[in-house]
Amino acid sequence: MSENIVTVFSEKEDFQVNSSSLKDVRSFSREVFKKLNLDQDLKDELVLAIAEAAQNIVKHAYKNQDTKDRMEIKISLKDKELEIGFFDKGRQVDKDNVRHRKIDDIKPGGLGTFFIQEIMDAVVFKEGDKPWINHLVLTKKI
Amino acid sequence: MSYKITEEGNIATVHLNGEIDMDVTEKAKEIIFPLIEAKKEVHINLSAVEYMDSSGISVLIESHQKAIELETKVILKYISKSVLKVIMMAKLEQILNLG
Repeated sequence: MSENIVTVFSEKEDFQVNSSSLKDVRSFSREVFKKLNLDQDLKDELVLAIAEAAQNIVKHAYKNQDTKDRMEIKISLKDKELEIGFFDKGRQVDKDNVRHRKIDDIKPGGLGTFFIQEIMDAVVFKEGDKPWINHLVLTKKI
Repeated sequence: MSYKITEEGNIATVHLNGEIDMDVTEKAKEIIFPLIEAKKEVHINLSAVEYMDSSGISVLIESHQKAIELETKVILKYISKSVLKVIMMAKLEQILNLG
C-alpha cells in the first residue's frame, strides 16, 4: 500500500439482491479500492471476499428467491483498518450454521465462506439495526 | 462471459472469456457438460478469464468429477493469474488437471 493512504474514508452503495448484481458489486468495490490506492493483489482478494459475501446474501439470506429488496455495502477505512459492512433484509442468518466445508473434502460448493475467512482478518455477524435484518462485518488491517 | 468451442479429433477446447461468477455458472455447465457426456477430452482455456469466484471453481470441480465418472478428462489450460490464485486458495492445484 502506498504512503499517501487516506486515513478516514467511507463509501456505500446499494444493490438489487440477485446474482446479476454481483458484477455491479465488484465494480463498486474496484472503484473504491482504486481510490484507496491498494496493491493489485490485495485489491483482487478484497473484491473476491466482497463478492462472495454478497453472493451468500443472494444464496442463503434470500435462498435465490426473486425479491425487490436491496442490500447495502459500506466500505470504510480508519487507522489502516478496512471495514466492510453488508446489510440485508433477508432471513436472519444463524451464525452458528455459517461454516465452510472441510477444504480437503473436494466437492462443489461451500468455498465462498472459506475464501472470505482466508482473505479477511475477522468475520462478524450482527443483528442489523432497523430496517436491516442482517449485518455482516468483515475487517482487515491493511 | 463469452465462449468459443473448437474441436480436433476427440479433444474439445472451450475458450472462456470474461468474468465467471454465480450469474453465469449454469451457462458454463451447459457449455462444458455435454462435451464431457460425449466423452470428449475437454480442455478449458482460461487465459481470458479475468475473474472467477467460488461458483466458477465449483463448475471446474463438477466438470472434473463428471469426467472421472465418464472415464474421460478435463484439463485446464493457459490459466490466467487471477484464476490460478483462486484455484490455489481453494487448494485444488493438486486435484484438478492443470495443463
